[in-house]
Amino acid sequence: MMNSTPCKILIVEDDPGIRMFLKTTLSTNGCEPLVAATGREALEMITSHCPDCVLLDLGLPDMDGTEIIKNVRAWSKIPIVVISARGSEEDKARALDLGADDYLVKPFGAIELMARIRTAIRHTVTVVDNDGIALNGLCRVGELTIDYRKHRVFLSGRDTGLTPNEFRIVALLGKHSGQVVTYKAILRELWGPYATHDNKILRVHMANIRRKIEPNPDEPTFIFTEVGVGYRMADCD
Amino acid sequence: MLKYAHKLKPILIDVLKTLLLFSAATLISLLLSNINNDNNPFAVPVFILAVALIARVTQGYVYGIVVSLVSVLCVNYMFTYPFFEFDMSIAGYPLTFAAMLGVSIIISTLTTQIKRQERLRYAMEAEKTRADLLRSVSHDLRTPLTSIVGSCSILLDSPQLDRADQRELLLGISKDAHWLIRVTENILSLTKFSTSNVQLRKESEVIEEIVGSAIVKFRKNHPSISVRVDRPEHILLCPMDATLIEQVLVNLFENVAIHAENADRITVRIERKSDRAVIAVEDNGAGFSNDQLSAPFDGHCTPRNAVSDNHRNMGIGLSVCRSIVRAHGGDISIGNLAGGGASVRFWLPCEEEDYDE
Repeated sequence: MMNSTPCKILIVEDDPGIRMFLKTTLSTNGCEPLVAATGREALEMITSHCPDCVLLDLGLPDMDGTEIIKNVRAWSKIPIVVISARGSEEDKARALDLGADDYLVKPFGAIELMARIRTAIRHTVTVVDNDGIALNGLCRVGELTIDYRKHRVFLSGRDTGLTPNEFRIVALLGKHSGQVVTYKAILRELWGPYATHDNKILRVHMANIRRKIEPNPDEPTFIFTEVGVGYRMADCD
Repeated sequence: MLKYAHKLKPILIDVLKTLLLFSAATLISLLLSNINNDNNPFAVPVFILAVALIARVTQGYVYGIVVSLVSVLCVNYMFTYPFFEFDMSIAGYPLTFAAMLGVSIIISTLTTQIKRQERLRYAMEAEKTRADLLRSVSHDLRTPLTSIVGSCSILLDSPQLDRADQRELLLGISKDAHWLIRVTENILSLTKFSTSNVQLRKESEVIEEIVGSAIVKFRKNHPSISVRVDRPEHILLCPMDATLIEQVLVNLFENVAIHAENADRITVRIERKSDRAVIAVEDNGAGFSNDQLSAPFDGHCTPRNAVSDNHRNMGIGLSVCRSIVRAHGGDISIGNLAGGGASVRFWLPCEEEDYDE
């Protein structure tokens, strides 16, 4: 996306079937897939090939996938998208808190896969903020505008009247639009690293935010709940 | 540390009960002995009653036997002449002791037996549910698997097939595979807690948020069915394992999409009734048949001789829902609406406080 050379994506997956599916999907979408079947192999390839993104299955034969995240995060910000099965929400949240950028739940389709990879790479390229915010202090998702300078959120041009804490939550999610942000990360950002983790307050804030910003709170379109893990704001325009 | 505390608690409670009942018996006997200063004729029956009660309310034999021993000594010491002195030569002393011991042992045995039988019955019931479920699941798995294997063999062996037919077969495979995923997810949910003493990982969640998340998931696959939520003004928090409750809601929505004829609208009603959150999922379809109403949670609602339809997993879906809701301390029931359409209601215990800011 940034340059014309195809982006190199490392697939770390021990199941041959899924590996094949990922490889085919990536090459038909103009990426250059690299493959590792074990954790050891993966670490070697990350250091020698410097891929643009890593797709990491957490269940590997020789080591826990989270070990790879820890190892890589010690020296690199290379985007890591975790692939995991449903039903292991704690594992996902832990992987994200260790520094993974996003996750995909099996089974997933080709479109979802490519979208996650693109978002992960984009967020790493622009480093701190996303493009819109860096340029003019605004993040637009459909009819929703987050104004980082005025500390206001507008829906179709109308102020939604969020409280300061509610704004901080929306602002954080906007900075990571398209990516999941864990409950822990939100609590840490809002109330500091030593805050007691009271998820209840966060849930209530989110319910109030939804009632204010979602045109139809029954079926959220801006902020999605990733049950058991965190929240994800839809991709910025 | 915590493990021991967990084990220690019932023992402490039993000791407390024992001490309480024993002191009550002693107190009553003391009061009665003040009335007539002679040998107290009421002491022995009072203590026998205490022993019987203790044997009934405590676990195992130990408390009953210990208390009968102590009671005999106590009666001897305090309530028989000479007062406040042990006299082991009193006639009938061994008899009193034997009677108390006998009562305590018999009642402890009976209590333990009843408790064991209850546990056994419960275990058998759970085992039966699991076996039923397994049976219907494996039946329901076979049909889509057969069609997947069949379609694959046609695709592999007949290269002359035109593109439209190929696409048709692939669509069928994809549909069956998705259905299999749904079934496996349900089985996965069950394994999370059906192994008896595993505790659910509950956290306070806002009901409408979980409902919203389930709606987003459901509408991805069924955009033609609209879902409306009727929510209370106050935000309702319930302790729950959110992934499981979301599964319940998705199951209920999917049931409407798959089973309810001509249903194109779902209404979710969230209500608070004292300390319960009641959630009703209603549709505008044909409603449940009488067969379904009489045995909704059997796991096999398909009539035996009916043409097998591989999307008849309502039984599994519903019985998984019931297991999940019951594991949360709530319950679920089904019925038909007065104006037509089906309704599934379930409730969960919810938190006291209201959250308004």
